[in-house]
Amino acid sequence: MSENQEPPPTVSEGGEEKATTEGDPPAGSKAPSRSVSVTSDKSQISGKRSLEDVVPDEDAQEDRVGDWRNMRRIIAEDPEWSLATVPLLNELVVKHIVTNFENNSEVLKSLLSKHQKAVLEKISVDLPLKVTALLVEDEGFWQRCCKARWEICDVSAYGGSWKRMYMEKNLQQIIELFVPETTKPDQLEETLALSSNFINKLDIRQLLPPVREAPKGPDFDDISDAGSEAGDEPECDHFSFGPVLPKLPFLQELHLTYGVKDCGMNFEWNLFQFTSRDCLQLSQCVAACKTLKVFHLHKSKVDDDKVRVLISHILDHPGLVELDLSHNIISDRGARAVGKFLNNHSQLVRLNLCDNQIRVAGAQAIAHALTKNNLLQFLNLRLNRLGDEGGQAISRALLKNRTLVEVNLGSNDLAEPSAAILSQVVMQNQVLRSIDLSCNRLGPDGGKQLQEGMEDNSTVILMDLRLTECGQESEYCINQILHRNQEADREKRIKDSESVNALYKKSNIEPQAAHRFNLPPTAIIA
Amino acid sequence: MSSSNEEEDVGPSVDSNDMEERIAARRIRIAKRADAARKALLGEDLNELKEVKEEISKSRKQIEDSRLRLTKLRKDGFELVSNIRVAGDAREAARRTIEEEAKRHRKEKLESEAKSAAERFDEITKKWESALQKEVPQSLHEMLLQQKRSCDSMNDEKNKLITDFQQDLKAKDDLYVKDLKKMAEDIDLMIERMNEQVDNLSKGQREELEEIERAFVAERNELLEVQRKKWEEKMAFRYEKEEENLVSRARRVDDFEQQLQHLRVQDAEEYNMVKIRLETDVQILEQQLQQMRATYQLNQEKLEYNFQVLKKRDDENTITKSQQKRKITRLQDVLNALRQKLAKQEKSYKDENTQLSEDYKRITEQFHDLQRKSKHFLATDAKKFHDIWCMNEEELKGLLKEVLEVDRVIHEQQLGLPPEQPDLSFTENVGPLVNSQKSSGASASQILHEVMSNQTGSEADAGEDAAPATIYSRISAHTIKQILELLCDEAGFLVEQKLNKLLAPLEKDERSLMKLDNIFSALGLETEEDIHKLSTYFMNIRDKKEVDRQKSLESNMELNAEGEPAPEEDEADNEIRMMMDEAEDADELGDIPSDCVDLIHPNEVLKALRAFVEDTRKGAKQGGGKAQFHLSSLEDRDDSLDSEYWNKYATLLNAKKERLWDALIEALEKYNEVLHSRSTLLSETEALRQQNAELRLLLHQYVNSKVNAELEIPPTRVLQLELNPN
Repeated sequence: MSENQEPPPTVSEGGEEKATTEGDPPAGSKAPSRSVSVTSDKSQISGKRSLEDVVPDEDAQEDRVGDWRNMRRIIAEDPEWSLATVPLLNELVVKHIVTNFENNSEVLKSLLSKHQKAVLEKISVDLPLKVTALLVEDEGFWQRCCKARWEICDVSAYGGSWKRMYMEKNLQQIIELFVPETTKPDQLEETLALSSNFINKLDIRQLLPPVREAPKGPDFDDISDAGSEAGDEPECDHFSFGPVLPKLPFLQELHLTYGVKDCGMNFEWNLFQFTSRDCLQLSQCVAACKTLKVFHLHKSKVDDDKVRVLISHILDHPGLVELDLSHNIISDRGARAVGKFLNNHSQLVRLNLCDNQIRVAGAQAIAHALTKNNLLQFLNLRLNRLGDEGGQAISRALLKNRTLVEVNLGSNDLAEPSAAILSQVVMQNQVLRSIDLSCNRLGPDGGKQLQEGMEDNSTVILMDLRLTECGQESEYCINQILHRNQEADREKRIKDSESVNALYKKSNIEPQAAHRFNLPPTAIIA
Repeated sequence: MSSSNEEEDVGPSVDSNDMEERIAARRIRIAKRADAARKALLGEDLNELKEVKEEISKSRKQIEDSRLRLTKLRKDGFELVSNIRVAGDAREAARRTIEEEAKRHRKEKLESEAKSAAERFDEITKKWESALQKEVPQSLHEMLLQQKRSCDSMNDEKNKLITDFQQDLKAKDDLYVKDLKKMAEDIDLMIERMNEQVDNLSKGQREELEEIERAFVAERNELLEVQRKKWEEKMAFRYEKEEENLVSRARRVDDFEQQLQHLRVQDAEEYNMVKIRLETDVQILEQQLQQMRATYQLNQEKLEYNFQVLKKRDDENTITKSQQKRKITRLQDVLNALRQKLAKQEKSYKDENTQLSEDYKRITEQFHDLQRKSKHFLATDAKKFHDIWCMNEEELKGLLKEVLEVDRVIHEQQLGLPPEQPDLSFTENVGPLVNSQKSSGASASQILHEVMSNQTGSEADAGEDAAPATIYSRISAHTIKQILELLCDEAGFLVEQKLNKLLAPLEKDERSLMKLDNIFSALGLETEEDIHKLSTYFMNIRDKKEVDRQKSLESNMELNAEGEPAPEEDEADNEIRMMMDEAEDADELGDIPSDCVDLIHPNEVLKALRAFVEDTRKGAKQGGGKAQFHLSSLEDRDDSLDSEYWNKYATLLNAKKERLWDALIEALEKYNEVLHSRSTLLSETEALRQQNAELRLLLHQYVNSKVNAELEIPPTRVLQLELNPN
């Protein structure tokens, strides 16, 4: 502290002040005049520091030099005094724009890009869609909107576009909550008009029936259930897609479930009624929507007649690639219709008829269609009632078919003869890659036959034999073969993709030795 | 139902019970499979591939292992999770079959019941008809009761069925609830397993990642170690190098410092020396300066004095100048007078001159006339002399010829001796004797020709010819030739360039000949004598004796030349003596051959040439004066030889011969007499012979006349008989 005496009086003053602040708060004789200034704070800090450090000379000196100007700038008697900088006019304007964005949103386009960004970061997510939908492209904003509205947001399911996600989810929500004849279509129409260009996919989990008998007591007896079950009137129609689908020019995927989610104890059969008029309307819509590629109709009690209506409408649909009618009650006649659909009247690549009631006849119809079809690659007949004969029919069809890549015959009550034919299929067919035979009573002999068949095969990489009672030994052998095939397949894919990724590899010079195992983007290993 | 329950109960328990074992079993199995697959991939594929793989670092191996393990894990997990679904499916399928069965059963039951009910109903309706027919109330009542009973029973049955179904329904409800519960459990289980799976997977991935990282780190460390070692080696190497460099540098620095020091000392010394020298120089220069100053002072005084003197002289000069000026004006007047006089005189002299020149012309014309006349007379005189000489000579020659002819005839015919051939060489001369010396010496060029052409020829040839003999007699041919060659080689500058060019294609000998010819003409060599003279210059001056001998030889030669018209015996003697001299010469020289000794060195050829040319030129000058107006007069003729010449004719017949001839005359006169007598005798015999021939002719005429033939006995036969009697 001896050095403090030598420098000019201001410094010594600072030193004195420090000395005072060290000891007690700035309530001393000189303190009031400076209590407001920043220097006192800083000196306090430095004082604290000096308390902490045993030898604070350097720090003190540094601070003194740093604070010298501030210490000189002392304005007394001004309690409002603050050194916080006045915000820039830019910021003020941005702030203003943000607060009045709803009223004057067009100004956004005339802003500089950095100011645009600033505005977009600050505007509220609750702004009405009509303001933002066409105006804002910024993903950040839409991300904020999504996150504010839904907890789980998986943007990858929406092609990485937050805006699309928001639009689609918004529309889905509106449709799911739409009650025919009671809800006014204004909001729907408005939303449709605004978001039609961004909608690619509609995944509608529930469709509410019209509320006809408003206070239907939940604690009615069995009779009421029976009555409601019997009350199968044509008026009980759901939301009609007729006016909606034509307004969506880019729609590619449509997932529908005619049913009510979370009905709880308010269960009524007619909540889950897919009426024939619904079916007709839907079929017409789907047929009219030429852009559609994927059509799912789950858990909607679609029976044979409705399937026939649907199929008859979408016959020769130009774009439809995937059809999913799982968890319905389609049986042989419906299967026959589907068979006809498959038989060169569609572009179908993927067909899912899981959990229906298709029996031998239906299986035969589909098998027949399979022999003729040369587009279908994925077929799922899980949890039907094909029986062994149906299984045989399908298996024989597989002998001829050369396009099917994946087939699921799980839980179909197949037996040994099917396994025998399948072993032949496995031997001959070089296209088939995945066969699911779980939960069929193939028995040990069937297992042996399959094993024999598999030994001559090099393409099948997946064969599910769980709960087939085909014996552990053959299962083990088959698994080994499958593993071998998988490895071979992987090698092949790497080799194939090498040429494709040559460019990619060239552009990315990879570090050292990892290049051989660092797989290019196309080789995704299952 | 019970079976499904059992299954429900058993399903998960089996799963859960077996899970650990199954997982363990699967692990082992998968490990085996992976090994098998890897073997299949590596071992079977190609050995080289294996080698390549082996070369691949363990990090990569680790990656491969990890990948396999993770796929295994993922598959297991997927199986584990989907097991529940499969079990559910299986259950559902079983339930459906049972349900189907139950449904069928129910249907049958219903149908049978409906059938029985219908039957009963028919029965009842039939009964109703019978009942309608019944009119007795009791029976009707009975009937009604019966009907009612049967209806009741039917109802009961139906009710029973209904209750059964309701019970079934309840059971189904229970089952449904149970199913729901089970499903919820399943879902929970599935979620649990999924979470577990996620955990497992992430754990596995993390572990594998760590493993891979570890492997990479290990590999990296190894690499680092290797590289570090290399680096250190290099660094050590570098360090050594640097140290070496440092040491060498230090040494160099020391060296340089020493050199520097040395240089410094040297420079200092030099500097001192230079300084001292310069100081001395300065001193000297100062001294010189002083001296110069002194001289300057002196000079200044002198000059001042001179200046004064000059000034005075100048004054004097001005005075004299004025005097002279005056004198000049005076003299100018004199000059003018003299000029006039000169003009006059010149005029007079000119006239005189023209007169004299005319006189001269006249006189010269007269002189020319005189000359012509004299020439004419000289020519006529000469011609006259020549004619007379020729005439006399011819006369004499005729006489001589006669005499000689006579002598020859005498010798041949009278004496029977071979004619003694006198020397008739002088008779070849026609006309007056001109310069005998000239005629005696052959021309230089001729000799040259001889020498050069005879160089290979035999000496005998040379000896026969008279002219070359003279030259060989003095100096051997070889020597001459050597001299000439020397001259040819050394005095090439005397030959014209053009000639050299022209001579280039000729042979060596010819070339040298032509060159020598040229050189001789340039040197003014004309005669053999000249060549001799020249060759003497070329000979090395030998000892006195030899020179003397040479002189005597020369005198001999002179004698020889003088005594040329002398008789042949003398000449022969002379020749013999010369040969002897040559032999002596050779003897004196001893072993050394005469021809190679006495030549001067080629370098001195020029000197010799110069000396020769100077000497000959003197002579030429002496004779040159007269040559201009030389008139070959008879007075000039050398008539010393004439008398001799004419004497030769006279002395050709000497006293001995005269005596011989006198004797011969006498003898011949005698012989003539004999011959006269013989001639008379011969004429007599001739006459006799003529008579004889005439007689013979007559005889022949007689014999051969025709009359003979007419005769019986011809005279011829008579003659024959007479001749051959025997």
